[in-house]
Amino acid sequence: MTLHERIEAFRELLEEWLHGLYHGMIEHPSFEKIEKEAEDAADVFMFACFADAFGIPSPVSYYTAELLPYLTDEFVAWERRMWDRQSLIERKGQQYHF
Amino acid sequence: MRKFVFFGGKGGVGKTTVSSAYGLRCARDGLNTLLVSTDPAHSTSDVFDQRFGDEPEAVAGHDNLFAMEIDPDAEIKRHMAEIRSAMSDQVSPAIVNEIDRQIELAHRTPGAYEAALFDRFIDVMRNSEDYDRVIFDTSPTGGTLRLLALPEFLESWIDRLMAKRRESVDLFEKAAIGDAEAREKLANDPIIERLTDRKETFEFAGRVLREEAAFYLVLNPDDLSIEESHRAIADLSEAGLGVGGLIVNKVAPEPDPDETGIGATYLRERHQTDRRRLDRIREEFDEPVVAVLQQRVSEIKGDLLAEIAEEIAIETAPDAPTTD
Repeated sequence: MTLHERIEAFRELLEEWLHGLYHGMIEHPSFEKIEKEAEDAADVFMFACFADAFGIPSPVSYYTAELLPYLTDEFVAWERRMWDRQSLIERKGQQYHF
Repeated sequence: MRKFVFFGGKGGVGKTTVSSAYGLRCARDGLNTLLVSTDPAHSTSDVFDQRFGDEPEAVAGHDNLFAMEIDPDAEIKRHMAEIRSAMSDQVSPAIVNEIDRQIELAHRTPGAYEAALFDRFIDVMRNSEDYDRVIFDTSPTGGTLRLLALPEFLESWIDRLMAKRRESVDLFEKAAIGDAEAREKLANDPIIERLTDRKETFEFAGRVLREEAAFYLVLNPDDLSIEESHRAIADLSEAGLGVGGLIVNKVAPEPDPDETGIGATYLRERHQTDRRRLDRIREEFDEPVVAVLQQRVSEIKGDLLAEIAEEIAIETAPDAPTTD
């Protein structure tokens, strides 16, 4: 192996490590945080649409039912999340890694 | 006169009679007229001795006159079936059952009936270019008035939903770093598209109700019906809709002065009470009394209907200045 090739291999390794470090420390946590935030916002939307799924009469559920075909997966997941969720703090806590 | 005319009032005051008579009058004045009954206990069929369905049908024996009876239950079923079929196109059958419950639920809530009725209202208004005049014989006060106040309320609700949806989709887009595909995308999001559609429908309904519709209240000379009319006017004006006039129905006739039997005495007294109430109505309401109709002994059909039609002093010419 020539010197040139060894330097090349080392640089590749370094780059991979650095990227991994960056991803683990910065990219992934913020990605996760934004996505959780997005899910929370989606939950609020779902609740405004389908409050009657939890026994709260909603004047617009007749109209929002039209959205169900496009929201099926989300709806099922949302319903499960809503029943499972212990508290708001627990959910918010998941967004931080200590 | 505005194109869409609504007759409302307490149950049993004679809305169907008045709207049928008015419809007949419009038709006789050469206007292509559609009479729409939205009362679940349809009685237009009884007035004209003819069965009407969910589509406009010519009324036998009268030129230019068409009638239809809206059936909200059928509309609810149709709406439900439409969603289900859209779903079976999109979704795996495994998940459908879970969602099905929600669809059932949404179509059984108390608001569903009103929403369906409202949809049909809008439908009729949208497809009314064949008619010069469309007359709505509405169901008793409460329900229909709430219905007419709906557009603005629903518009703001939909606005809020859209804002929420935008927020979450925007966050999903931001969460997709680098080459990762976003879970949801703002451009051609079917949800926002649907909500926009709905919003446009409500805007249309609101505009038509404010600009092209006239409202008349039918009442009887009795305290209950007067009170109810006060409330109705308050509700309507809260929704930005003015009442064009009042029609007082079932006023007791006055017997001839030489009649003195028990029946005649009773009737004379009734007539006087009704007169006093009529004066009270004229005093209490800002809206003009456009017709005073006498109580009839026989059922109102045929010639009698035509007779009443002549007594209703509501302008029928399409372009005459409006009364409200």
